[in-house]
Formats: sequence, C-alpha cells, structure tokens
Amino acid sequence: MRWIREHKLITGVLTILLALALVFALTMFGVGKESGVAGIINKGMSYISKPFTSVTKTIRDAASGIFSYKQLQAQVEALTEENKRLEQELVNVSLSKSELEELRALSKQLDYDYTEKQFDVVTADVTSFDGSNWTNLFTIDRGVEAGIAEGAVVINGDGLVGKVSEVGEGWAKVISVIDDGSKVSFMVARDRNLLGVAAGSVQGNVTGYMLKGDANVTEGDIIITSGMGTYPAGLEIGNIKSVAYNSDTLLKEIVVEPAVNFRSLKKVSVIL
Amino acid sequence: MSSMRYWKVGLFFLAAFFMQTTLLNVISIYGYTPNLLLSMVILFTFLYEQELYGIVYGALFGVLYDVIYSNVIGPTPISLVMVAAGILVVREYTNIENIINMWVVSAASIVAYYFMNWGLYHMAGNPAGLAIVFAKVPWIALYSLVFITILYRILIRKMNVHHKDRYFK
Repeated sequence: MRWIREHKLITGVLTILLALALVFALTMFGVGKESGVAGIINKGMSYISKPFTSVTKTIRDAASGIFSYKQLQAQVEALTEENKRLEQELVNVSLSKSELEELRALSKQLDYDYTEKQFDVVTADVTSFDGSNWTNLFTIDRGVEAGIAEGAVVINGDGLVGKVSEVGEGWAKVISVIDDGSKVSFMVARDRNLLGVAAGSVQGNVTGYMLKGDANVTEGDIIITSGMGTYPAGLEIGNIKSVAYNSDTLLKEIVVEPAVNFRSLKKVSVIL
Repeated sequence: MSSMRYWKVGLFFLAAFFMQTTLLNVISIYGYTPNLLLSMVILFTFLYEQELYGIVYGALFGVLYDVIYSNVIGPTPISLVMVAAGILVVREYTNIENIINMWVVSAASIVAYYFMNWGLYHMAGNPAGLAIVFAKVPWIALYSLVFITILYRILIRKMNVHHKDRYFK
C-alpha cells in the first residue's frame, strides 16, 4: 500500500493497462462484441461523420477540378465522343432487346423454365474511413434496417468494392477488396476459362495468381469475379497491370489495378 | 510552463479523432495519412510535464477507435498508453524545448506504436504480415512528423507564457 501511495503515477498507468488488457482478452474471445453500447457508438459516429465526410468530398472534388483542368477538358472531349458512339450502340441494343423480349415471350409460351438472376440492391453513402493505415475499412450509413447482413457484397458503378464485415442499426462496416486479408476467386473477362485467385496487398492494390501456369493472360486484361465463393459472377475487379512467371510455384502471378477508386468512394451499393 | 485544462485538451483529441476518419482523406498521399491520435498522444505527453493528457485521452479515444473500427477492443488504447508511458520516462532526461529531441522521441514512439499495434492485432487474428509494418510505417511516420512539427511550434509558444522575454529570443 505504501508503495502504491509513493508511486501513484506508475500505479495509475499499470491499472489502466491492466483494465485495457482485460477488455482486450474478453473481446478477443468474443465477449461483449455484440453489445448494444458498441452499436449505439457506431450509429452516433455514422451520423456525426456524415457531414464531415460530405465536406471532405466537396473539397477534394473542387481541388481536383482546379489542379486537373486540362485533364478534365480532354476527358470531356473523350466522353462526348464516347457518348455519340454509345447512342448508336443504344439503338442497336434496343433492337436486340425487342428481339430478346420476343424470344422470352416465346419461351414462356413453350413453358421453358427460365429464371432471370436479379439482385436486390441497397444504396448507401460512405460516412467515414478507417484512418489507421492498417486496414482498408470504411463505414456506410445503412445497416440491418435496410436488410444488409454480414458478408453482403458491396459494389459501385466501377466494380467490386468489398463485403460487409459488421453491421448494426444505421451502419455497416465494409472491408474493401484491396485489404490485405481479402481474397477473391476471379476469371479473365476475355476468356472465362482462365481462372485465378486475387488478394488485397500491402500496397493497396490487388495481387493474385492464375490457377494454370500456362494461362494466357496479358497486361490490360480485365478480371471479373468467377462466382465461386462469396462474390457473384461478373463483377469487375480491375485490369491486369503486370504478369510475371514464378518459377518456384510454377504459376503466373499478376498485379491488378482495381477498377474502383477507393480514395474517392462516395456511394456504394450493397447486394442483399 | 503553463498547462491546459483537461476539457480543452479533450477537444483537441476529439477534433483529431473526427479528422482522422473524415477530412484527413483530402490530404492523403498515396493512401497514407498521418496518425493524428498518436501524434496528439506523443505531443501532449512530451510537452506537459505535470499532466497525464496522453495516457487519459489515449486510453479513452483508443477504446472509442477500436469500438468503431476494430473487431477487438484493446490494441489501439494499449499501444497508445504504452507509448505515452514510454515518453513519460524519456521526458525526464530530455529538454522538451529542443525540436530535435521532439523528432527523435516522436519517430521512436511512432515505430514502437505500430509494432505493438501490429503485434496485438496479430494476436487477435489479423492476417496482415509484418511486411505491412515495414512497408507502411516509414511513410506514416514521415507524414505524422510533419503534423507533429506544426503542432509543436504552436503549442511550445503557448506553453512558454514568457516566450517574448529576452531569454527566449
């Protein structure tokens, strides 16, 4: 007791550390992980962070507009050209669609068992990012009330974003595909027989390997989810930046540039 | 040296906490951002001799951080408190008005923090390898040191109530 009185500072620090170590040990074994307090804090944080994140996006967009004026101009010209081309394609697609509808009507008439795979999707805003530089985790403003469950796949207009790692009322945490612990089974869009496994990497991109050593993949090939495992088939992961043959594993290893720009994520969609 | 009231320091930590997860993404370079919470713990522990700001708020905001972003509660506050405790010891033998001392202590604290943090997360099942620490820490440390230096220049002037005296010129 005398020692404690004489060493109040050391005693205080040790007490705090012991208490924290106890909490750490308890949560490591799952105690209190699903507590209501954590849910309330997460929900509160989601509400408070939302305006801050919105301001961040506005600043970033404005700044990028100023510093990349010429680039934006070139982009507008390219998009105008692309728009013209797409308009023409739309006309062709409309014609094909009407043909498809006719065929579907016909298949119904013939009592052909046809199932169309469609997903229910919930759109959510990104409210905050994990700033620890460890994980690539972010929080969105929709949760269990919107039907989001743990493991739900998250996408945006560009492709695969990741999956829900934790969910509560009004919030969900999403672990992105570029996270070190993330793994996806993929196929090459050009030739769907070329399969591989991709994983997030320390550098914030995606690396992976082809299942066959003689797989004919080249730089620029787009890779999409194969449908094996958690992720549904056809979601764009990114394009291959480099290919190298590993003589130890006898496999082709690839580095992938993700299709999604994870630094400027604003809205995402969760597949229910 | 004049100290600050706890609630005022708490506001600094609160601002840093929110900035870390929201506004800081604006100034991220190649995806790296300074660790504001750690920077605040280092600064406030190093500069304020009689106070335990770093330990108290490091524990508090560390717990809050883990509740929000981690699947286990502990690695962040434990690492922050350990770093603060280490600085408390080192501070006894250091001249806090010398900025080089500040840089050395900060750099060592940042490296120690990340190794401890990684170790604890690894214990809790995080699959990230040690390579991630070596790859990321130099950049985070560099970036955090810039932030620490700016804040140090501001705080050191506030701490020295007679900084306009001839002695300090």
